[in-house]
Amino acid sequence: MSEPRILFDRVWKKFQRGELHDSLRDLIPAFTRRMLGRGGEDKTELHEGDFWAVRDLSFEVLPGQTLGIIGPNGSGKSTSLKLLTRILEPSRGFAEVRGRPGALIEVSAGFHGDLTGRENVYLQGAIMGMKSVDIARKFDEIVEFSGVQEAIDTPVKRYSSGMNARLGFSIAAHLEPDVLIIDEVLAVGDLSFQERAFGRIRDLARSGIPVVMVSHQLDRIAELCTDAILLTRGEVLARGSAADAITAYVQQHDAARTVASTGLVRLEALRLAEDVTVRSGERCVVRIAGHIAEAIENHIEPLQLRVRSLRTGNLVYITGSRRLGVQLDKPGPFAVDIDLQANLPTGSYMLEAAAVNLMTQKDIASATSVMLRVRDPGTFAGGVQLNGVMRVTS
Amino acid sequence: MTSSLVLAEESGERRDGAAVRHPNSEPPVELRRTVLGDFRTIISELRQSRDLIHQLTLRDIRIRYKQAVFGFAWALLLPAAVILAGMAVRVAYSYASGRGLNPVQIGGMAVKAVPWAFFVGCINTGTASLVGNMSLVTKIYFPREVLPLGSVLAQTFDSLIGLLIISCLLPFLGITASLQLLWVPPLLVVLWILALAFALFLSCANLFFRDVKYLVQVFLTFGIFVTPVILDATMYGPRGSRVMMMNPVAPILEGLRLAVVEHHNLLHPSLGPGGYLFWRPWYLVYSAGWAIGGLLVSAIIFHRSERRFAEIV
Repeated sequence: MSEPRILFDRVWKKFQRGELHDSLRDLIPAFTRRMLGRGGEDKTELHEGDFWAVRDLSFEVLPGQTLGIIGPNGSGKSTSLKLLTRILEPSRGFAEVRGRPGALIEVSAGFHGDLTGRENVYLQGAIMGMKSVDIARKFDEIVEFSGVQEAIDTPVKRYSSGMNARLGFSIAAHLEPDVLIIDEVLAVGDLSFQERAFGRIRDLARSGIPVVMVSHQLDRIAELCTDAILLTRGEVLARGSAADAITAYVQQHDAARTVASTGLVRLEALRLAEDVTVRSGERCVVRIAGHIAEAIENHIEPLQLRVRSLRTGNLVYITGSRRLGVQLDKPGPFAVDIDLQANLPTGSYMLEAAAVNLMTQKDIASATSVMLRVRDPGTFAGGVQLNGVMRVTS
Repeated sequence: MTSSLVLAEESGERRDGAAVRHPNSEPPVELRRTVLGDFRTIISELRQSRDLIHQLTLRDIRIRYKQAVFGFAWALLLPAAVILAGMAVRVAYSYASGRGLNPVQIGGMAVKAVPWAFFVGCINTGTASLVGNMSLVTKIYFPREVLPLGSVLAQTFDSLIGLLIISCLLPFLGITASLQLLWVPPLLVVLWILALAFALFLSCANLFFRDVKYLVQVFLTFGIFVTPVILDATMYGPRGSRVMMMNPVAPILEGLRLAVVEHHNLLHPSLGPGGYLFWRPWYLVYSAGWAIGGLLVSAIIFHRSERRFAEIV
């Protein structure tokens, strides 16, 4: 096993709420207070108005590994990346990148509107740490990748925001880094550019470069990352495989939905009988067990299965025991297999199970979700139709 | 696929942070900062950033001349304004004193106006260099020293053009060449270092306290009255001139005038109009001391506060 290339060791980062003193006039009272009162302020402790943006975060990334960091806004994802790229300094702990980092963060931050695309390529490249000779060597490649050939000698202030972002991304994507750090840049440009950009990053990741990426596009995380961390308010909520972390995230996000747990139905873990990855059109079996406390009425659906696309976050398919003609009304434990045909386009999907009160449309019980990955080698005919079949196994 | 990631539950007892070490990690290296070590870091970072410095300088120069009506005439605007204002003062002065105004005096002023304009320009653009590039400072890592350095270099380019044009004009003002012209390059180098020292310090100060920019404006506006640019230091009398020469820029400007206009060897003392000792050779050491000492101190201050820039800006 090789040495970790990205190391984050018990890192804490403190930020201050409200305004810092910004002018000399504010400094003088603050300074005298410091001289009179508590002398040496410990920068590793919290003081009034401070909060931890990142608490006790540790991870390492080995060559060949791709780590995704997910979580809601303000959970410390971007702060972690800034700590890695040395823009910020940890309050406690130790963050290090071994080798030359390539950061795909704010890829057009160095652009100056009055300069032409060509001039900006050299400028932005230099800011990102490329040598002028390397930029010159790759110039044509960069411009071709960005697709702004005709406008390369036009000042970038006349560019559309998409052109701007595409050119910026292309420069960053042609760095030759030892370590890749990506913050939410996969959503730039039109669909075809996004595919190209994602392909480029996938190639880099597959070539063995360790990658850390932050994204809200969960399907991208699912597709690219070998490991993932779920952050919430600066703390690690879950870590493990990308599927595990995404599952935890979706569940945390959905926690608000699970209301009124009546105890009428209890559902246990949802599992895939075989592989997590299936080809489009193939069948897969989902297993679930549960317990029904007392005889249930007609408006209760004891087992609803939902398929959620991680690309859009929307449900693409809903089925249930009643729709599939299976009687689960009797009290006592039950176990079922749901046979699905994965008539889905390429992507990652969340399989969720719940018991629902059909009158109020509220969940009364839910099971841990499971992720399904679909690859389409050209067999997907269009039209999401999963042809579910449910069998009671006990 | 070997996963080095541990589940959150397993690492739960590491909440307190310091007590338990993360597996496979070396202990955090507590680097003791030495002044010498800092300089070594600064120099090696700057050497690695040569292309970046070049590109940033080029950017500043390009921006100034793009979409600008005057083009390269901009480089002459401030020195020309100083010379014109100086001529107005000198005319009034010669009328009051009853002594005439000769072109050599105007030449002496021109020799000082370009370096002064350079110094003012460096401090103005240098002070704004970090805050003006806020989006870069908060988003991309690179040695931040390159920003003030780039703005000083862009200003240097401007001033070299100004210097070239002024030098062509000097013969018409009755100023002849001499061996003492050799003093010009070392004096300009000292001025350059001094300007860089100020730019480094002030850019950093302005990032922490935004009112520094306004203070600098005030100082630069009034600085011309306590720096021998329009008037020569000798015009302030024996005591006045000695006080004025304590301004670290003054010996550089007066040295330039003495060497270029009066063909004076700066290693020898020079007497003022009333016969008092005006130029003392140690003034050279004094200015150079300010420049080099200032650069070292401001580089250390800059380097040590650098990692807090992104948070404070």
